[in-house]
Amino acid sequence: MRLSWVCVVVSLAVGVNCLQSKEDLRNPKTKHWSLQPLDRPEIPEPDSAAQVLSPIDAFIFSRLDSAGLNPSPPASRGVLIRRLSFDLIGLPPTPEEVEAFVQDPDPDAYEQLVDHLLSLPRFGERWARHWLDLVHFAETHGHDEDAIRENAWPYRDYVIQSFNTDKPFARFIKEQIAGDVLYPQDPQATVATAFLSSGPWDSSSQMGIQDGTIDKKIAQYLDRDDMIMTTMSTFVSLTVHCARCHDHKFDPVSSEDYYALQAVFAGVDRVDRPYDVVPEVYQRRILLTREIASLEISLSESKEKEKEKDGSCDLWLNDSDLNPHQRRDLIILKKKELEELPSPSKVFAVSSSFEPNGNFKPALKPRPIHLLLRGDIHRPGKLARAGVPDCIQGLESRFTIPDPDDEGLRRSALAEWISDPGNVLTWRSMVNRLWSHHFGVGIVKTQNDFGFMGSSPSHPDLLDWLACELRDNGGSLKQVHRQIVLSATYRQASKLNPESVGDDSTDRLFGRTKLRRLDAESLRDTIIYLSGSLKTEMGGASDRQFLLSKGVHITPVLDYVGFDPDHPDNYRRSIYRFIFRTVPDPFMQTMDCADASQLTPQRSESVTAHHALALLHNRFLIRQSELLAAQLERHYDELTDRIQRLFQLSYSRSPDSEELEAVGSYAREFGLANACRMIFNSSEFNYVD
Amino acid sequence: MNPENGIRKLSRRSFLHATGGAFGSLALSHLLLRGEEAGGLDSVRHHRPRAKQVIQLFMNGGVSPVDTFDFKPRLQREHGRRFNPGEGQKVESVTSSPGFKVLKSPFEFSRHGQCGRWVSRVFPHMAGIVDELAFIVSMTSSTNVHGLGSYMQNTGFTQPGFPCMGAWINYALGNISDNLPSFVVLPDPKGLPYNNLGNFTSGFLPTKHQGTVIKAESDHPIQYLFPPKESSQITPEGEVAGRRLLQQLNRKHQAQRSGDDRLEARIESYELAARLQLSAPEVFDLSHEPESIRKNYGMKHETTMDFARRCILARRMVERGVRFVQVWSGPGGPKNNWDNHADIPVELPYMADQVDQPIAALIQDLKVRGMLEETLVIWTTEFGRMPFSQQQAGRDHNGGTFVTWMAGGGVRGGTLVGQSDEWGWKAVNPFWCYDLHATVLHLLGIDHERLTVRNNGIDRRLTDVHGKVIRELLA
Repeated sequence: MRLSWVCVVVSLAVGVNCLQSKEDLRNPKTKHWSLQPLDRPEIPEPDSAAQVLSPIDAFIFSRLDSAGLNPSPPASRGVLIRRLSFDLIGLPPTPEEVEAFVQDPDPDAYEQLVDHLLSLPRFGERWARHWLDLVHFAETHGHDEDAIRENAWPYRDYVIQSFNTDKPFARFIKEQIAGDVLYPQDPQATVATAFLSSGPWDSSSQMGIQDGTIDKKIAQYLDRDDMIMTTMSTFVSLTVHCARCHDHKFDPVSSEDYYALQAVFAGVDRVDRPYDVVPEVYQRRILLTREIASLEISLSESKEKEKEKDGSCDLWLNDSDLNPHQRRDLIILKKKELEELPSPSKVFAVSSSFEPNGNFKPALKPRPIHLLLRGDIHRPGKLARAGVPDCIQGLESRFTIPDPDDEGLRRSALAEWISDPGNVLTWRSMVNRLWSHHFGVGIVKTQNDFGFMGSSPSHPDLLDWLACELRDNGGSLKQVHRQIVLSATYRQASKLNPESVGDDSTDRLFGRTKLRRLDAESLRDTIIYLSGSLKTEMGGASDRQFLLSKGVHITPVLDYVGFDPDHPDNYRRSIYRFIFRTVPDPFMQTMDCADASQLTPQRSESVTAHHALALLHNRFLIRQSELLAAQLERHYDELTDRIQRLFQLSYSRSPDSEELEAVGSYAREFGLANACRMIFNSSEFNYVD
Repeated sequence: MNPENGIRKLSRRSFLHATGGAFGSLALSHLLLRGEEAGGLDSVRHHRPRAKQVIQLFMNGGVSPVDTFDFKPRLQREHGRRFNPGEGQKVESVTSSPGFKVLKSPFEFSRHGQCGRWVSRVFPHMAGIVDELAFIVSMTSSTNVHGLGSYMQNTGFTQPGFPCMGAWINYALGNISDNLPSFVVLPDPKGLPYNNLGNFTSGFLPTKHQGTVIKAESDHPIQYLFPPKESSQITPEGEVAGRRLLQQLNRKHQAQRSGDDRLEARIESYELAARLQLSAPEVFDLSHEPESIRKNYGMKHETTMDFARRCILARRMVERGVRFVQVWSGPGGPKNNWDNHADIPVELPYMADQVDQPIAALIQDLKVRGMLEETLVIWTTEFGRMPFSQQQAGRDHNGGTFVTWMAGGGVRGGTLVGQSDEWGWKAVNPFWCYDLHATVLHLLGIDHERLTVRNNGIDRRLTDVHGKVIRELLA
């Protein structure tokens, strides 16, 4: 037992009858909430006097009613614009935007603000960060040979664009799992499959280790395990990876199901994959390649035919009047055109065919996947057939694949299963994620686990209503965002008020909107925005905010501290920051940036002395406080006006006389730059009401 | 961290978690007060602890057991012959091709101490303290790859993303002192080990439990402790006044938002930061260490100077309340570490000479100061090496068997468990990282089966689903 090739957690406790629990789960009588049919629930009618602006409020307020609580009063417009702005685009409003919104007599001013923010490219940049956390995206391999992936960034741009264009969610899913197969005419769909390669890759096992050894096989199983975990946790909130060693103790996932998923990914490896950015070039390349191939075939056939002296013409080629000589010329011509096409770009994605590199060789066709008894590589059982856990009513759990050697069909089948309107997990999972990011806590707290070990939804009907909205309205994520932020629930004040919160110390009844701390990227982006340094250019290769030198082996040495705080690569939004998996930016890490070695549905909020020291003494922040002070000094002659502006920029409000005096006298004695730095450190700067 | 981490622990803490939900909303006491006061020590301890603090000495690269502590006379007899462990035994080697020839150890072994422990001549100083050491001579790993092996020895799992032992202990017990980080890592100045910072990670535990990397050789051992030198406009007076200003602004902000513990914790974190600034520099100032200490550890010799400095520092940190200190020998990569593929007679003594004297001095120093009783010292590596040769006189990776020892807090010196086969190829009765980790937690008063955190649907443990406390080694 101890020799299992991975160390997996689920207890081998005897006597657990997994099949029984599986039956329990699927049995409508036991009704595990997440697997029940997804039907649009009736919208309740709360007694509460509070104004119901959206069906969301009807669900939330009814529940508060039954707990004897009232919703909190709405937040002021000044608070709302700051909240909404950070939430949707990850940046604060300008003082002018705050003023205009607060003074706007139009009763639809808030709706207009929501639509405006949702239409900004900044929206995709903000929400792509949440997605990249979820899929543990980074631009190096991780593990002990942590080499740079020069071509990982196109996936980041793909996610930003998908959110900005409000790509239908089903399409977003399918592209990421099998876009290369399902949408071969769309180059971005190939980029999308970088989803599967976003996690760590064990270069030393894959490239350094002799083929055929146990350690090599382990590496391949583990590599697929990461793809399985990422796919199933992200899209359907199932923790199938527990079933590596035996049937899932709690959820309807058997060991056989797990290895069925292994078989789905049995043909692919993580590699740089060529693709054409411009669809026309891609289509031309495909066409030319096909034409050359058929010309070559007809050329060889015509030779045969000449030998046979058969006069009949070739009907399936329209170049049948060409003689062999002309055909040869045409081939040369077309080959030349092919060569002259712009050379393809690359994206670090998955592929079944690539140039071998040392011991790292393509599968070409799916590798045989054995069901491993107790997860033990030394005990291979029967061959696994591609499929998924048998837990969704109405959907087949084993795929029928016409050509078993075509790995693409396996991934396509998985993509179809996940994105099927009948897959109740998919829709519930995604709306819960959106809700979690808007409120700081999910309707289901365990965003990646909708199984027995996960938590139950606080508002099951609301979850289903939102899931139906997403499923039935063309899969528009922006519409769900819009529904949520337009609700009275979202617009409540954050102040703790006993009538609204009562005993609900975890804020799971949503009787107020909880105070939220800025995440690492929002904090950093806000500071460069306020100092006037922010560059709005989108996309392309990532900004390496470190000095790079050669390491003792493959992993380079990174120096973050020595990186010039005035280097132009500091000034784009943090989503364009290069993320080095095993040597993350120490400042961002201290600010609880996601650890790219694991899936992060929601970040932590640590409060430590080290956190305080980093905010006080980070070289880049110090430099930014100087730049902000210089801006203020350039535009305003009086210190009072400078401080006034500093407050408006940082807190979206004006200071009172006491604050003006306190910050003013500090700035007089120690300089405006230090005063700006203290504001960066203040709680009000770091938290959003 | 994930707010979905449900937590099962005992008593007051579990109440805090249950009511507080996410870590972010934990009560103030949990966030900031010392472990004892926070209910850390008392609540998470499942039984009376034997040790309070840990120093782990990690030999990066895979120390060869048959050239150090696991004496194998059969290798001498069969030297140069084809390695043949018997019918049906499959011999694999991860970075070399078949045709394996037995390689005897180039170093003589002799017995030492009252316990009569075999030690080769590469560790003359450690040979002198074997009666303090409790050996596990047949540790086993499920992998023969550095990255995976290092993760396994540090986190119990071969894949990234899991908390390391120091993080678990920090999480379970909290800190003893507010004035220093609770879990400190002292990497080799030549570079980080395999997996870089991955070996010190807090994984799915809150970020604050990860190892604080301290560059012992640097002028700024703790990052961000002080403003950068270039920032001349930041003066000590300005910082004091700045903290006062912050306090004023933050108190006012907090007063309007009563009932949110995070805001109070945040205010206190700035006070703690000020205290850390006062106390930390003293720790790194070794100039007051007596001459005899500097000499004993090997500060006088270039070979031993670096590891000696870090061993002295480890002792000073433990004295000042750091819970877990990890000292690394050797960077990642193919050289300057214990990954001796090419030439055991040269490469192994090169590493052994750097650490042997400082380690022996550390044990003796702790003992003299009466600290060894409550300080657990662990000497470990990620795997062993093959009994047969690679190239002329090197050895390839071998997860089959390797040696770890423990000393101090609750451990019975002079003992030994485990046995490897006659070649030192595979363990006869294997011990795993799970058993080592279970034993360390046990000595700290923690039941490894009851220290769990739910992550992505699984109640995770440092010891996975395995682990047995190695009682034979306990005092």
